[in-house]
Amino acid sequence: MQSNRAKIDTLCAEYDAGGMDRRSFLKKMGFLGVAAVVANAVSLSSLGATLAFAQISGAEERAWELAKVAAAKATKKTLTLLIPTGSIGNMTPYVDKWKNELGITLEFIEEPDEVVHTKGMQEAVAKTGRYDVMMPTAMSYPDWIDSGVIYDLTEWTEKYQPDLFHKEWGVVFPASHHAQLYNGRVAGLLNDGDQITLLCRDDYLKNPEKQKAFADKYGYPLAVPSTWAEYYNLAEFMHDPANKFYGSLEYRSPYYVKWMFMQRLVSKGRLYFDGDMNPTFNSEEGVAALEDMLKMNQYLHPDAFSFTWSSNYNAFGRGEGFMNIVWPSGFKYSKAPSTGPATTGKIAATVMPADTLKDGTKLYAGLFCWGYGYAVSRYSANPELAYAYAQWMTSPTIGADAIPYLGGYSDPYRINHMLKPTQRLIDTYSPEYLQTLYDNMVNTVPDFCIPGGFEYQDALDKQVHACMTGDKKPKEALDDAAKAFERITRRIGKDKVKKSWLALAKNLAEPIRKASGADKWS
Amino acid sequence: MHAKKLSPLLAVVMGLALAVTLFPVFWIVMTAVKPPIDWNASPAIWIPSDPTHINFMTLFDPDAIRAYGVGGVSQSATKAVWGSVRASIIATALSVGIGLFSAIGITRYGNGSKLAPLIILSGRMFPPAAIAVPFVIIFSNVGLIDSYAGLIAIYTAATLPFSTWMLKSFVEDLPREVEEAAMIDGRSRLMAHLTVTIPLIRGGIFATTLFIFILNWSEFMFSLVLSYTNISTIPVQLARYVTATAGTLYGVQAALAVLAMVPLMLMGYLIQSHLARGMTFGAIKQ
Repeated sequence: MQSNRAKIDTLCAEYDAGGMDRRSFLKKMGFLGVAAVVANAVSLSSLGATLAFAQISGAEERAWELAKVAAAKATKKTLTLLIPTGSIGNMTPYVDKWKNELGITLEFIEEPDEVVHTKGMQEAVAKTGRYDVMMPTAMSYPDWIDSGVIYDLTEWTEKYQPDLFHKEWGVVFPASHHAQLYNGRVAGLLNDGDQITLLCRDDYLKNPEKQKAFADKYGYPLAVPSTWAEYYNLAEFMHDPANKFYGSLEYRSPYYVKWMFMQRLVSKGRLYFDGDMNPTFNSEEGVAALEDMLKMNQYLHPDAFSFTWSSNYNAFGRGEGFMNIVWPSGFKYSKAPSTGPATTGKIAATVMPADTLKDGTKLYAGLFCWGYGYAVSRYSANPELAYAYAQWMTSPTIGADAIPYLGGYSDPYRINHMLKPTQRLIDTYSPEYLQTLYDNMVNTVPDFCIPGGFEYQDALDKQVHACMTGDKKPKEALDDAAKAFERITRRIGKDKVKKSWLALAKNLAEPIRKASGADKWS
Repeated sequence: MHAKKLSPLLAVVMGLALAVTLFPVFWIVMTAVKPPIDWNASPAIWIPSDPTHINFMTLFDPDAIRAYGVGGVSQSATKAVWGSVRASIIATALSVGIGLFSAIGITRYGNGSKLAPLIILSGRMFPPAAIAVPFVIIFSNVGLIDSYAGLIAIYTAATLPFSTWMLKSFVEDLPREVEEAAMIDGRSRLMAHLTVTIPLIRGGIFATTLFIFILNWSEFMFSLVLSYTNISTIPVQLARYVTATAGTLYGVQAALAVLAMVPLMLMGYLIQSHLARGMTFGAIKQ
């Protein structure tokens, strides 16, 4: 009985912490011999998180009810998901539940992440109906909606209430808008809070000798950087190539380098376009951002020009650098002893550094880059079931449960994931980092989530990389990118892109709207 | 004839060429036996101190790599290996078979259709990426999408221009008179080609077969675009070895690459005598 009591207490604590849904809680209590009525009373009591969790599970339960009805009606008992390779770990834990309770087999088609967008566009013309749920990044939605390959989910979301914008457990604003909506309509449900934050080696920050030496040299205390100028000073101070320890890691490699530029650009209060779709990155601020990057090159890890996300994470985890700019998965890597042997327990994280604007104010701006979500194929045989899956998987409760599983890309994206985390989320990330993610996310600027988004990004990436390798001067590179942008805009249609861009800009954090002038765009 | 002695300079250049040529093979083989911690080590580890066969095992048992604390591999490579074997062998046989008779037709009976070889070659003038999506639409409508029949059809179509042109040059180099002599001896045109032309250019046929097989074996784009779940090939499987916990599984990729080399090396070894003859066939014009 004593051990049963301990199990009951553990279950209650786990339930209170949001570690399981109400259904599982009741089932497990049942197994322990606690009468259903008692178990129900506990789960519905007004004790702290228990009540909150009961309320929070609404989106999950509504989705499950819809799934039951849709599954019963479905003639095809398989739900096929197009997913990027490497993301399956967040989905496999639920395969048995869907099979056993709904009779639905979840079939995963894994494709390399850079191919998912193309596969979706291919489906727009082939109309095979092979996919039910597709998992693109937010940048795919405009092209996919316009080509008719995915459903506009707005009506379903109005009917089944996935709580996307709930003030306590909705998706964090502004990602809630720019990573899920296209022209104000819901195109997909976010399942991955991709944003970049800054990691530092905490053990170096706490080293008394270094603290003294740093304060003597720079005149302020050694700490995580709050501005890009401090970031540069830290990189310079910590850079120790003789001992294979570098100031920072970052990325200078093709495909990744654009994000390093975009992040610095938005920190300077500049966006990619003005309100009339004229490129604005080839401005004074854009050139300064590239010059900052060139200046930083001397303190970067020597592999920065060839880093992929995994080789970057591995190098940081091996203890080869003081700072790193990474996605939340990079923090997970560095925290886990298996993948971050040199950094586990030694990481301090912070929001992306601010830049000082011309009027002397500091602007904190983050970058929401990549970010997967679920979309429903228009050619699916069971679109309602596909939608139910998307809502269920991204609900505040199941989302919180799915994220900590290793073997998937998914990172926190809802308010409750960061501010009311479950114990598993805390164990995976740490309370401090979850708070950092929230603080950073509220200031994020989106990727090119507009029609032709991938083309714009590629054009920018090529030119920024050419500048980093010395092939082009900063201004020349940015002017060339601007010309490419103008061509893309002309081809797609200025009015169409502008409408989408203005919709994105409308939902930026207020300081960024003000600094960029977007608050005056009509 | 006495063999000339290799000069020291030539020996050095040859050695250098050999080293450069073999370096990727060396690196792939070494990576295939490295444990995960050595895959991406800095400085690079040339020869692993603790070689492992786990990468090879992971190809067929995705959980094997967990022995090193790495998870997230969800697919076995078995299907991809057999898919490559099946699609490449059948498509190569079709391509070389059709190409051979096409080459004989063009060379021996091509009067008035000098443009035919060029038109056949024009099939190769479009990049695969440009024609892949239209094929998706066509194949979807005729039920060939995500099927080996469809993949074999497209592989054959894509390599037929090469096989036709390669074999055409071998047939052209064979004196027409030997076939005519066979016909004087009472053989039909067809039998003359089957019993005289083909045996005499077999070196060229072997060389073409190897070349076409390599093209099919390493093809990526069509296989990627035309596949969902029913078909898989090695090049597409290679791109799937990415996990969220360990990033790109370089060791497992290398193991599959090593495995993919084996049929080519074996084939090259078995037909090497014909290959030398095929490659030099017609080097001295009549």
